[in-house]
Parts: sequence; structure tokens; C-alpha cells
Amino acid sequence: MVTKNSADVVIVGTGVVGVVIAEQLLDAGHSVLMIEAGPRVSRAEVVENWRNAPLGVKGDTSVAYPPRPWAPHPTGAEKPENAYLQFTGPDAYDQTFIRYAGGSTWHWAGTSWRLTPEDMRLNSLYGVGRDWAFDYDTLEPYYVRTEHKLGICGPSDRAQQWPQTGARSADYPMPALPFSPGEVRFTDVVKTLGYNNIPVSQARNSGMPYDGRPACCANNNCVPVCPVAAKYDAETALHRLEKKGVTLLVDSVVYQVETNAQNKIEAVSYYDQHKQSHRITGKLFVLACNGLENPKLLLMSKDDRNPNGVANSSDQVGRNMMDHPARSFTVTTKDPYWSGVGPVVNSGIMQTSQGSFRSEHAGAYFRYNNFARNRFVTFAALKKGLVGKALDEEIRRMTACTADIVAAHEILADPNNRLTLSDKKDWLGLPKPSIHYDVGDYVRKSWEAYSQPIGKQIAEAMGAVDIKISPKFNNSKHIMGGTIMGKDASNSVVDVDCRSHDHENLFIPGGGAMAAGACGNSTITMVALALKAGDAIVDQMRGA
Amino acid sequence: MIMKTITSFALAAPLALVALAPVTASAQEFSKELIDKGRYLATASDCVACHTNHAGGKPMAGGLPMSSPVGTIMSTNITPSKQFGIGNYTEAQFADAVRKGVRGDGANLYPAMPYVSYSNMTDEDIHALYAYFMQGVQPVDEKAPETSLPFPMNIRASMMGWNMLFRPNEMHKDDPAQSAEWNRGRYLAEGAAHCSTCHTPRGALMQEQKDLNLTGSQIGPWFAPDITNDKVHGIGTWTQEELVTYLKTGRLDHRAQAAGSMAEAISYSFQHLTDPDLNAIATYVRSVPSANATQASAPTRFDQGKAGNELAAFRGRNYAEGIKGDQAGAALYTANCASCHGYNAQGTTDGYYPSLFHNAATAGDNPTNVIAAILYGVDRHTKGGHVFMPPFGDQPNTVNALSNVEVASLSNFLLKDYGNAKLTVTPEDVQVIRQGGPSSQLVLFARIGMGAGAAAALIVLGAAVWLFRRKRAQTQTAA
Repeated sequence: MVTKNSADVVIVGTGVVGVVIAEQLLDAGHSVLMIEAGPRVSRAEVVENWRNAPLGVKGDTSVAYPPRPWAPHPTGAEKPENAYLQFTGPDAYDQTFIRYAGGSTWHWAGTSWRLTPEDMRLNSLYGVGRDWAFDYDTLEPYYVRTEHKLGICGPSDRAQQWPQTGARSADYPMPALPFSPGEVRFTDVVKTLGYNNIPVSQARNSGMPYDGRPACCANNNCVPVCPVAAKYDAETALHRLEKKGVTLLVDSVVYQVETNAQNKIEAVSYYDQHKQSHRITGKLFVLACNGLENPKLLLMSKDDRNPNGVANSSDQVGRNMMDHPARSFTVTTKDPYWSGVGPVVNSGIMQTSQGSFRSEHAGAYFRYNNFARNRFVTFAALKKGLVGKALDEEIRRMTACTADIVAAHEILADPNNRLTLSDKKDWLGLPKPSIHYDVGDYVRKSWEAYSQPIGKQIAEAMGAVDIKISPKFNNSKHIMGGTIMGKDASNSVVDVDCRSHDHENLFIPGGGAMAAGACGNSTITMVALALKAGDAIVDQMRGA
Repeated sequence: MIMKTITSFALAAPLALVALAPVTASAQEFSKELIDKGRYLATASDCVACHTNHAGGKPMAGGLPMSSPVGTIMSTNITPSKQFGIGNYTEAQFADAVRKGVRGDGANLYPAMPYVSYSNMTDEDIHALYAYFMQGVQPVDEKAPETSLPFPMNIRASMMGWNMLFRPNEMHKDDPAQSAEWNRGRYLAEGAAHCSTCHTPRGALMQEQKDLNLTGSQIGPWFAPDITNDKVHGIGTWTQEELVTYLKTGRLDHRAQAAGSMAEAISYSFQHLTDPDLNAIATYVRSVPSANATQASAPTRFDQGKAGNELAAFRGRNYAEGIKGDQAGAALYTANCASCHGYNAQGTTDGYYPSLFHNAATAGDNPTNVIAAILYGVDRHTKGGHVFMPPFGDQPNTVNALSNVEVASLSNFLLKDYGNAKLTVTPEDVQVIRQGGPSSQLVLFARIGMGAGAAAALIVLGAAVWLFRRKRAQTQTAA
């Protein structure tokens, strides 16, 4: 029985984690109600928001996704004091995410690197960070399911696959996409240095339709939106879920998770866009509103039985916030490279993320950004005072002869990197998230002794006539850690199935559970965890 | 061995009956050559298109839902399963099913099965088909879902009257005045390939109007266009080679591409036929004249429209405003279509994404296929790859569920800028296509007929269950 205020399973959040679990449950015959803070919009509207935006504001992908007043998310236009995300500490935790139906995969690049077996045993092997609560072989079947569920393309040649050390029990459902001219050249250059630039496995239909979605036709517009839905994003699943009977509430901001006398979750409450409160009951609850909103909601929901917040007897909710601190090398070359044919991220060097050095400092993943460069070089060309044909020629030259190389680092789980509730309030009067963040010595040491030298070496081998290095660590927008997984309920929030240690009918799957994030983008691992949680929920509901 | 397992006479008796049952042909051994010939004819007849549920079903095991004006018909299991298929059919029963629309048990088939066309097949070819279906098809011991049309449409005997009037009962005979190639082409085009099933307009009782042979007809949500040699409305401007290319690939650059049922015909049937047979079909089809031929000087349905866009009028404005104003259709085009078909609707140089000008879909004599392409997309498997345009209707995999008003705006923009500017589309037109095409008045006629007299009723009932071939349940995905 599903109504507008009750269902077997209530899922807060409609991003990729929420929708894959919702579909598993619907297929198993359960009623599912999903609650989304933001609006439901059409792909057409997002595409046109982006195209209608002037070039000067396109550095901020959120221009395609203006937040609703009741569901704020970070935008580039905010002043720090008014920003939705408040920061303390030496580094900004400057994430972008989208509070829209479909969530932040709307604007992900689709990059889908698996973790390696070593990534999941950092503490055992290198004496740093945390081990995962289970090993790679446990996660591997869920990676396979993720690759087939989302439609992740990748190379069939074992030497070009990642990870090299872990098994792969099934092929990718589609072949790798071909490299752009710049990527071909970059691959050749780094090979002379001993680095293997391999195809990114990515949630994008390569050369064929998949799951009722069309083939990639190379708009090079993956971020902020795939205009044809060739890239998987969770919005592509919403219509299918509706046909399967999901109840979807949008513009509904959950602000409280309510426990009962048995300390099970009884209900969630939300505000609609008119600030009216509503209550939703269910047998089982899934929080799938990302690594920032999940801990915020849990902390906001503290009650007499749970004085630190719901699911927080360990005091680890909101702690261990992680990302992939990144530095970029903008390289000007003598000869043209030409980025921009195909998807925006299409290859990378992963081998540099692994090694015994990890006992001393972080590993790093190097990628050649395949965004078409004209958008980035036009302002520099204008500043030179050029007009007419000379301006066109300069834009063309710089589009061909510049490239971005990005070094993305792993970061250790550190309980001091912590999300708390700010005193500042949002439009609904709910507290804004406040994050204390420091990338830490492990990352800084890597940059000084390891990744920066490698980056410079690569840039020089590319024939750089100029190298501009970003002055500080940028955020990769990979939100991890705030509801960390572990076997020990005293120092972790969720168990191996992303079930709350404190509340047996509460699941908090996704990036927040990751105990270590290595260097690769986190979504594929988030979805693998979601599928694992989905299996556990189906089992649990069967017993219910 | 049998004696050991038989423990009583009661058990032995039924076994004896089985042993005494008429010898079915499956006891015969057919040659590989004969089975292969039958396989080829089955491909030419496109049996698999309807008799397989393409969403995960086994080949020829049936279960494909096909909607008709009077309800959903499920295709049947035609594998040689003795229990659930046609494994017990004799060759004579098989021949009657294929050519006369009469089932093994004597009941009439609904003419969703194009036996009207297949009736021209020679005994020799029926024999090969039979050999293939008995021994070249894997038996599937699964019951296909049954068709249950509401009373009175469930009276299969009602087909008898219709058959009496409209079923040809003649095998193909060569026309000595024509070449062997033409005769082969006619045999295939009128028979196995059943072109007229879709391309010939239907009369009041849903019979094919032979005097309007191949001049085009509405078929579910699509319009099967005029394929006579008329130079304006038909394909009289196509060369022999072009028609063969189209049948092999499902497209001709800057002219036409196959969607709907024709995409299936290309995917499952035509592309697998031999070059001589495709040439034969082309030779025959290109000889078919139009009964309502037009002036040869008018523009054809392949050469209208030109590249261009209206971006300057709205780019930079708010999207919501853009789709309300005069440029609504153009704004919808750039938001939903231009990422593949190009900002000028120019398509791609490799033709995978067709240009929308110089395109039969936008330049046809009616707007049906513009609307249908938007709502249903295109799905075509060929040796050159899987051509797939996602749907913009209400399917689970819709890219964007466009409203009737939006589809009408978009269609009118496409027609005005890139196609036949004389045509216009209303939201009501879109709704008709969304519902699967114009519905027939035959249900009503049938009910009136019931009162008017038995003979009339039988004929009308028969017509009522004539099916829009492969007019599928609308919620099926491509997955």
C-alpha cells in the first residue's frame, strides 16, 4: 500500500543511489515513496538553461540548475557569508551538488574507476587511514552489476583495465570510446615517461544504444548535462520508476527523521514549498541525499534517545569528510593537441595512485581533461585586445594549443574533517551545513614530493611553453565519508550493508559510507554500495 | 524398455493411443537444403517480427502484444512444440494456416496474420517452410499468452465471411509477358514480403483496395507511404540501386529512413535477403503504377526544405518564455533535437543522424510520420549498426515526455522550416497518433450489424478484428 504519506520503504533523495535501490525494491514487489527536496525539470530545460547562459558565467555548472529557495545548493554566484555551505578550517569544502529530481549525476562526467583491492586495505598495507569493512572480492560482483545497470563502457583489453590487481568477473557491456586527437597525443607522450594513459570506464553509451537510451553523439557537453541522455544520469530512470509504480514527491524538504520507543525509525517529516509540514511513515527508511545532506539531516534530527543526532551514537556522523583534492596544470604547447572530441573525461593515468609510498603520502590520478578549450581561452584572447579575424585565430590557436592536466589525490579519513550545523539558516529556517576541512599533510606531502614533480614532468614532455598551476587544492565534488562504514559500532555509523548501527530499519547508503576513497571518482562505488544495501533491504523486508 | 516401465494396462492404453496417432510430419527427416530454404522464406515472410516477444522472449515462441481497434492480440507460439506450438501440424494443416488463415483445429486466425498475402505461396515453398518450422526452429515448450478479445469479437468464425469476400485463393502464376526477375519480385513483394499489407489503403471493411495498390496507408501510428512509381508521391525518382540500398540499410541519405513497422521489416527481413531477390523486389515495385498519378513537375516528398535555424530570435532568453512565444517550435527543436540532428537540422555527414530537410518524414503528404517519429522514435538493427532515436512520448525510456501541444509546435516548426510547409498539426492530431493511430469505426458497425442480420454481422465482425499490423502496446521499451 502506497499513499502520499506512507509506503513500505521511504527513500529520501532521488539521485543515483536512491533510484537504483528504489528499482530493486519495486521489482521485488514493495511499495516505494521517494522524497526529493528540489524540483522535477525536463532535460530540455536544463540544456537550454546552459545554452542561454552567457559565456562569462559558464565556469559554474550550476547556472543550468538554479536552486529553488526551499532547496538551496551551492552556486558559484554566492558570497561566502551568504553561501549555502559554510566553511571553517584551512581548506574550503567547496562542493557542487544538485537538489533536483535526479540528483547530481545530472552533471557528473560519468567517470567510473573501481577501487583497487589495495585501496580498501590502506591501514593494513600502509598503516594509514582506514580499512574497508570488507574486501574487494566482496564488492566486485556489485561493481559488475553497477557497470551493467548504469551502462558503463570500458576496454576489453585486460592491460587497459582498472584495477590491474583485482579480478574482473564480467566484461563491460560496451567497448571503450575512442580517444580524441589530444588524448592520442597525450597517451604517446606519457608512454615515453613510463605512464599508461588508459581509457576511462564511463557511464556512457559508446557506439550503440543501451537500456533504451541513445548512443553518445559527442556533444562534449557531459558536464553540466548530457543533452541526449547517452550518459547515464538518475533522471533517465525516473520515468521508468514511475511506470513501475513509485510515488515521487518533489519540492519536499525532509527536515526530521523521527525515532520511536524501540529506537526504530517511525517517520520522516518534510516541508513543502509553502513551508507546510507533512509526515511520512514507513516500514523502512533509506537516506540517499548525498554525503553532505545525509549527515546534516541526521544531526538535525537529534531527540532524547539520540542526543547526538539520529544514527550517531558513535559521534562519527558528519566526520571523516573526504573528497579528491586536485591541482591542475594548464599547459600551453607549441604544437596543437585539440581537446574536445568525444566526452569531457575519456582517459587517465591510474598507476600513479598505487604504491608502497602510500605509507608516506597520497597517490594521485592524472587526467587529461577533454573539455573543448574554446570556452576557457576566449576571455584571455579578448583581454589581448584582439578583434575580428585576429580574435578568431587566437581563439582557435589557444583552443588547440592549451590543455588541462589534473592531479587528483586521495585523502585519509580524518574525524576532524567534520560537518556540523551552522548557526546560519536557509530559506526554510533550517541550519546550513558548516564544514571544517583540511586536506592534510598526507596530501600536501604528495603534492610537494610526488604529484607536482610528475605533473611538471608530463607538462614538459608535452612540449609546454607555459605551465600555470592552480595555487591551491580544488575540490573534485566527490562527497565521501560523513556516515562512515565499519564493523565496530563505536567508531562507525553504518554496517557492511549501509544499515545504521543504531537503527535497524534505517539505511544510509552511498559515498558517505566509504572508509577510503582512493583517487578515482566515487559514483561507481556509491552505486555498488547502494546495490548491496538494496539486496540487504530486500532480504530484511522479506523477513518483515 | 517400455514393458519395464508399464505397470498396468491403464497406463499402457494411452501410450498405445499415442503410438497409433496419425504420423505427423515431424517424424520425417527433411534435408538441410530444404530446411535452409524454408528458413530463408521465413525470413522473407518476417515471421519472427510478430511471433517473438522482442523484450526477452524466445524466437517464434509468440507472446508479442499487438493492439487492434478491438483489443490486444497476442502472437502465438509457432515453434514445433507439440504441446504449445505447431509441432502436431500436418503439412496440410500448416499450409491452411499460412495461406488460408485456418488453424489446425479448424478455427479461423485473425488477419493480423497476413495470410491474405501469403496465399500466393507455391506448394513447393510451403513445403520448405514446413520443413523449417518442424526441424529448423527450436521447440519452445512454453504457452504463449492467449488472445481474449471481448464478445462478440471473440467469435473467430466471423472471419469466414470476410475470407469468402476478400481472401484470394490463388497461388502465384508467372506473367509470361514479364521478365523472370519481375515475376520473382512480384511473387515475393505480393506474397512473403507482404508489402501491400501496410502500403495499400483499406476499404470500409478493412480489405486491401487493389485498385489503389501500394499508394500508401495509415498503419497504426505511422503512415506507410506511397511506394508506386509516381514521381511526386511515390518513389518514382528512386533508381533500382537506391531502392535496393534502402531495403538493405533502412535509409537513403537526404530522402528517407525506415521507422516503425518498416524498421522491423528491414531489421528482421529485407537486409537478410539475397541481392538477386532484393533486385527482383525492386524491379517489381518500381513497375507498380499509381492509380492517382500526379504531375511529374511538383516537388517530390524527398526534396523539400533547407538548412536553417531561428536561434537569433530566442537564444539568451529564458527557456520558459522561449517555448511560449512565436518560436516555441524552434525552441523545442534546439532543446530536444538539435544535439543530434544539428542546429541547422543538417544531420551528420555519415547519415547516422539524418538531415530533417530533404527527408520524407517532414516532406510527406501528411504529417503522420513527423508526429510518430517524435513520439515513438526509431529503432532499427542493421549490419551497419543499431540505429536508435529515443522516444519523446510517455514511454519508460522517454528522453522528455513532450505534451501534445509541444509535439504539435515542434512538428509545425519542422514542417514549416524543413519540410512540407502546407501541412499543419494540431494537438488533437498528436493525441490520435499518441493513442496508436486513428481508431476504426468497425466496433460500432459490428454492434449495429449484430442487430441488422447475421450475415452482415459476420462480415463486419471479421473486418473489425483486422489488425493494424504490429501496432504495438505503447509502453514497450527498447531495452
